[in-house]
Amino acid sequence: MPTILRAKCIVTGDAGVGKSSICQVFHSDSSHFPKNYTMTVGVELLVKPVNIPDTRDQVELFLYDSAGKDVFSEQVTKFWEHPNLVMVVYDVTNEASFTNCVRWLERVYSVKPDVSLPGVLVANKTDLDQRRVVSPKQGKELALSKGLGYFECSADKVLIQNILGEVPWDVDNLSEKQLELNHQDQIDHGMTNSSTAIL
Amino acid sequence: MLDYASVKEGAQIVLSTSSDENHPPENIIDGLDETFWATTGLYPQEVIIRFKSPINISSVAISCFNVQKIALEGSEQDNSDKFVLLSEQEFDRDDHHKQNEEIRVEGNKQVHCLRLLITSGYDHFVAVYNVKVNGRG
Ligand SMILES: Nc1nc2c(ncn2[C@@H]2O[C@H](COP(=O)(O)OP(=O)(O)OP(=O)(O)O)[C@@H](O)[C@H]2O)c(=O)[nH]1
Ligand SMILES: [Mg+2]
Repeated sequence: MPTILRAKCIVTGDAGVGKSSICQVFHSDSSHFPKNYTMTVGVELLVKPVNIPDTRDQVELFLYDSAGKDVFSEQVTKFWEHPNLVMVVYDVTNEASFTNCVRWLERVYSVKPDVSLPGVLVANKTDLDQRRVVSPKQGKELALSKGLGYFECSADKVLIQNILGEVPWDVDNLSEKQLELNHQDQIDHGMTNSSTAIL
Repeated sequence: MLDYASVKEGAQIVLSTSSDENHPPENIIDGLDETFWATTGLYPQEVIIRFKSPINISSVAISCFNVQKIALEGSEQDNSDKFVLLSEQEFDRDDHHKQNEEIRVEGNKQVHCLRLLITSGYDHFVAVYNVKVNGRG
């Protein structure tokens, strides 16, 4: 029987940056890119199984596509308990959406401070080259300073597998623990598995 | 002393929210210290143990890893979803050892099914090695 690991991923960032687009393109295996903007109200949950390469095992990714409009923020953070991953998205044509990433991260960490939380910063709408105001260098620097992976995309072409490949999984730390605690073998193994799954 | 939550005494696992075939929930009641049930991600996680017949539980000893908040609930019936809370606990964090916790259960309640509800952990996954139930059969 294959093992199914489950991981909860918070998707956050300013309104209109393309969070729902990324989630839906991923969820539909690239067949559905929403051209028109529908504001997310609260949190939308999408579940997507991702196969772990070279095994029969799977990670069921629970994407919590969260509203970016401030009026929903209190409502939204209620759904953020026990995250395993975080994805903060900004729009490269919108400077404010970039500076606000720090605030979104702080909100996420305020919900769950005591578990390591790997994450990725996603620079979206790179197809709008002419209007780009946030450079790759700025994005990478912010990601680095926050211990996040960095990924550029435009939602209509994105493959979330690739985004998740940029997540700085704490695999070293895990294998160290594994030596210390061989009885915890499976637990670490699980985490390593879910990371290779999405790499 | 009899351990009612063991296969030897006729206990069974009737439900669990994670099933990794290498670390199935049956490991909780197999009487071995080194085997464990591993969760596979997300909270809450639960497992339900059914005893051979109703038990008057006086205490429950749990050996686990990374568990933070846990609730014990009991049901009088052998097949029901009506559970009452027996005890709620928050375990201390220990990154290097198993957590060995003894939970006293007051109130002399008859319990046929015992539910362990883990509502949070100190890591993304937790493990439960053993549950031992003391009481009167
Ligand atoms: N050109 C371009 N447009 C995009 C891209 N990604 C999303 N959009 C458009 O941007 C608009 C907003 O996208 P959404 O995905 O709904 O934004 P959101 O982040 O979910 O917004 P909220 O739900 O309000 O927080 C939509 O009209 C999308 O079609 C992209 O990569 N390039
Ligand atoms: Mg949205």
